Amino acid sequence: MPENTGNGRPMKNKIKVFRAMNDLTQEDLAQAIGVTRQTILAIEKGKYVPSLDLAFRIARHFKVNIEEVFSYD
Amino acid sequence: MKKNTFYLLCGCIAVVLLAIFWYSVEIHSPLVIEIAFILGIVIAYLARKKVTDLIEDERSAKITEQAVLRTFQVFLVGFCALSIGAVMQLLTVPQFPPTYIADRPKELLSPRMMGYFQLFFFCLMIFLYVGFRIYYARKYGEWETDEE
Repeated sequence: MPENTGNGRPMKNKIKVFRAMNDLTQEDLAQAIGVTRQTILAIEKGKYVPSLDLAFRIARHFKVNIEEVFSYD
Repeated sequence: MKKNTFYLLCGCIAVVLLAIFWYSVEIHSPLVIEIAFILGIVIAYLARKKVTDLIEDERSAKITEQAVLRTFQVFLVGFCALSIGAVMQLLTVPQFPPTYIADRPKELLSPRMMGYFQLFFFCLMIFLYVGFRIYYARKYGEWETDEE
């Protein structure tokens, strides 16, 4: 079950898609942005909603805007 | 220092502390274990700062935070219930007909009983923390399987 974001709407993300486009593994992305691989996995599966800071770090790593990676369902 | 070396060091500290605890019991000196406990925590803290692998990020911090918060909330209810009982013993109301001390019920919170209660609450906190930690770790995908 996706984590509640506070307003009752689950957050979805396209990290997996961007990882595939950039040919990155979860471990590569995790190391690049300074988190554990388990955190990337949890975010991808919707189990954990990242902080604004982490969301920006992920988006910046893929060189896209944050809205392109994260959006509400 | 590697992450696993740190965990090994923590295990060693725990074993040494256990040995010091029983030594402290044997020589009837609580000060020995008290000082050793503080030293053990300081050593573990300093060693943790030297770990080079990443062992904590915002998700694991959130798991710890939530587990600590819930443990504290549950613990507080039990502790307050006990404290209310202790306060009631302080507020002795004169009764009619007057009762003699010998007829009164035994005090629940004698110093010895307080020790047992503290031990109970200490164990309760450990079990609560471990339980809540497992719950939140599962909630935030700690043991999620990967399809990669």
